[in-house]
Amino acid sequence: MFIVRQVALKADGSEIVRQTEVAGGEIFIGRNASNGVHLPDLAVNPVHAKMVRRGGELIVTAESQQPFDVDGRSVESATIDVARGAELRFGGHIIALGTEGDAVTLTVRRVEAVSDSAEDKDETAIYSLKGLLPGKRMSAWGFALLVLIACLAWPIYTWSSYKDLAYKEKISRPAGFHADTMWSSGKLSLAHKTLKNDCQSCHVDAFVSVRDNACMTCHQKDAGPHAPMARQLDARGDPTGFAAFTRFVAASFNKPAGRCVECHTEHEGAGAMEPTQQRFCAECHDGMNTRLTDTKLGNAADFGKAHPQFQAAVLVRPLVGDDAKAPRKRISLDRKPKENNGLKFPHDMHLSKTNGVAQMGRRLSAKYGFGDALECKDCHEPDKNNVGFVAVDMEKSCAMCHSLAFDKIGDTYRTLRHGQPEQVKADLRAFYRSTPPARPINLGSLARQRPGVVNSRRTAADYARAVNFRGGRADQAIRQVFSRGGACYDCHVVVPPSSSGALDFRIAPVAQTSRYMEKGWFTHDAHDKEECTSCHLAEKSSDASDLLLPGIKDCRTCHVGETGASLIKVKKPVESTCAMCHDYHADKGAPWLLREQDKKKKRPEITASMAHPGGAAARLRR
Amino acid sequence: MASQAQPAAPAVRKKTTGRQRNSMHDGFLKHKNFRWMKIATVLSITCLVSYFLIDVQPRHNGGSWYGYTLGTIGALLILWLTCLGLRKRAITPGGWSLKAWTSAHVYLGLSLIVIGTLHTGFQLGWNVHTLAWSLMMIVIISGIVGIYFYATLPDNLSSNRADSDGAVTEKMMIEQLRSLDRQLHDAAQPLDPSQAALVQASLEQDPFDGNFFQRITNSYSGCETRKAIAELRRMRAYQPRMGDDPLDKVDGLLQRKESTLARLRKHLQIKAMLQVWLYVHVPMTFALLAALSAHIFSVFFYW
Repeated sequence: MFIVRQVALKADGSEIVRQTEVAGGEIFIGRNASNGVHLPDLAVNPVHAKMVRRGGELIVTAESQQPFDVDGRSVESATIDVARGAELRFGGHIIALGTEGDAVTLTVRRVEAVSDSAEDKDETAIYSLKGLLPGKRMSAWGFALLVLIACLAWPIYTWSSYKDLAYKEKISRPAGFHADTMWSSGKLSLAHKTLKNDCQSCHVDAFVSVRDNACMTCHQKDAGPHAPMARQLDARGDPTGFAAFTRFVAASFNKPAGRCVECHTEHEGAGAMEPTQQRFCAECHDGMNTRLTDTKLGNAADFGKAHPQFQAAVLVRPLVGDDAKAPRKRISLDRKPKENNGLKFPHDMHLSKTNGVAQMGRRLSAKYGFGDALECKDCHEPDKNNVGFVAVDMEKSCAMCHSLAFDKIGDTYRTLRHGQPEQVKADLRAFYRSTPPARPINLGSLARQRPGVVNSRRTAADYARAVNFRGGRADQAIRQVFSRGGACYDCHVVVPPSSSGALDFRIAPVAQTSRYMEKGWFTHDAHDKEECTSCHLAEKSSDASDLLLPGIKDCRTCHVGETGASLIKVKKPVESTCAMCHDYHADKGAPWLLREQDKKKKRPEITASMAHPGGAAARLRR
Repeated sequence: MASQAQPAAPAVRKKTTGRQRNSMHDGFLKHKNFRWMKIATVLSITCLVSYFLIDVQPRHNGGSWYGYTLGTIGALLILWLTCLGLRKRAITPGGWSLKAWTSAHVYLGLSLIVIGTLHTGFQLGWNVHTLAWSLMMIVIISGIVGIYFYATLPDNLSSNRADSDGAVTEKMMIEQLRSLDRQLHDAAQPLDPSQAALVQASLEQDPFDGNFFQRITNSYSGCETRKAIAELRRMRAYQPRMGDDPLDKVDGLLQRKESTLARLRKHLQIKAMLQVWLYVHVPMTFALLAALSAHIFSVFFYW
């Protein structure tokens, strides 16, 4: 006999046991209600297994190929010792085997919920994303830690493990990634590109701002033109108002004033350093004479509003010797300085449209391309970059009118050598020595002359005398050529002979100054839309010593300073900062600002050597 | 988020129940007639205008006095915004309204886009500074997404839960499923093993199963209930109708389970969207705090 005990759980957790007895030696287990052991379980087949009792043993066999578990092992049939008992499992049900007297007891219990949903659920969790995504707390700490390690600990380690860069020009860190470079706030400028891996070349000590001695490691030579720092600070004066506040804050954060990096900011992006801002110039130069009382420089704050008149470096005495020692002096154009250049040249006469010069030009126009009158360009030829002008060449620009011819042999003219006064004298002497005076046509032959033919005799006597004195004529000719009315005297300042009978005439050295203002930049190329005479009043100048430079007033008819036309109304305003003409590290070439503009416009860069090959004054040698 | 301390109602005012008072509720976005939106707008516009008026040479960057000012404001703002996490856990008595905090958090957080970005001077690169900026932007954008969800999804959530008998609570959704499962279990008893296995698979599948992407897209291709419906119908397609077929009842129950599951899954999807942005917002905030510390530290280190 089998005793089947169905154990069910009540809602309060207590058990209800329903007991049925099945007579006979076999019992079926399955989902159908007709089975002796009815298991309402969809994982169980309608008739899942048969259990047969044979003496002390129970033989359990699966009715279909569906297995069941005996003591945790999946089998299709099993023989069980009744006395020892066993635990069978069908689907979600467990049947505990035991004995009670002679009968076999089958205690049936459901151990699995009917469905997954019937199981206990943590309702706050299942409706949230818990378990589906990494927890917020964990990932928050994880990410924070990751960032701190990667961006803080690692760079500090890199910094501490390689410290040999400070104050060493030629040393750089080995190639490869250095973690502290991720602290860089922006790309370095072109000039400092090679330092991009060497943070400590400039940032020498931790928590100490970049100091000048780091800059001077490499810039000992080219930082020269700066005034001493103390003087610069004096020129700037004490900040007031908001500037005083920012200075105070900077100082309290260990950023002292007057460091290179205050003006020369870095990490502003790749490319060339920015041109100096007007603000940096004006900080000192605006009203500088009140703070730096011994300065010789004029106050300057803005080209349009506050800028001293230009000072041209003019030759105050005739040039002697070489250029470098030229007796130049910077004189304000307001004082109408004179250039002592050793020439006589009336611009007005040569540019006149009506006089003999114009007429002569018209005669020669076919050969030399002159117009109705001479123009500036007929003599003045721009230099290679159109910045200034090459020195006027006498042979090319003057000689077609101011001929130095003194003799004609066949169709060939012999000319005096320009630029070589001694040679001129020698040539004149040679001319008078080797060429006889013109032979009179009535000079007779060697035939005997009849007495009374006076004219013939006179001619012969005159001729004989002329031949005799021929050599002496040379001195006269030399004197003539170097004196008023002579070819040299027309254009040159002639140094008279040492004593009254002597012939040691000399020509004063000639200077054609190609650049009068060394401290500022000017290029004619940028002004090629203008007429020459709109700035240079050559048509009204009758003397070569006139300085035909335009003053600041003329420039200001277009150039209005940094703040633009808002302050000074002009027709075609050109905004002009300090850096348009001036450079801190000025050389002979264009300022940094213009060079950068040219680069952007893909124009060839004007370098120092190209712009003014002759330096301050290209000397005319001939 | 109703304000905690209502002023004592005047005696003449009609007594209202909490529910009715709730209907007067306006959200944190409209709090006090957009007070914080106005403040944040003024702040942003002030920053924008001063950015263009103040001439930092050679170009705007975080290292000018103006850049440091913006950076300090931004860093303090970030710290304060982070404090919402602490504030919302502190139940405080008195007139301090969490709604006001939330409103300020949202609008000042948005103004941080302007302040933080102007602080960079638009100089971005592969460095710790831009990392901090990027993390800040990720936090803000995830916050914007969150606000968008908060503004649009609750309606969907309610309409999804609405039933002919009123709103279905989360507890009721599970109970419905449990009930259907029990009925299915009973109804499927007469089925043959292969059919019973299909129903059993449906019963055994966790209705909350599915990974994050299934939940957020609401697409569950391995749904056993749907499979059971299809399979059972396919099996039955050519069987003669006998009447009183247990499969009829099973099919009906499975269909009801499927529609219940559909509502549950829609509910889960909406709730996932309401929560998911925080899984970005919060961890990225901590990453931002770390990057911000590294950013500030590095500036002073390589001063």
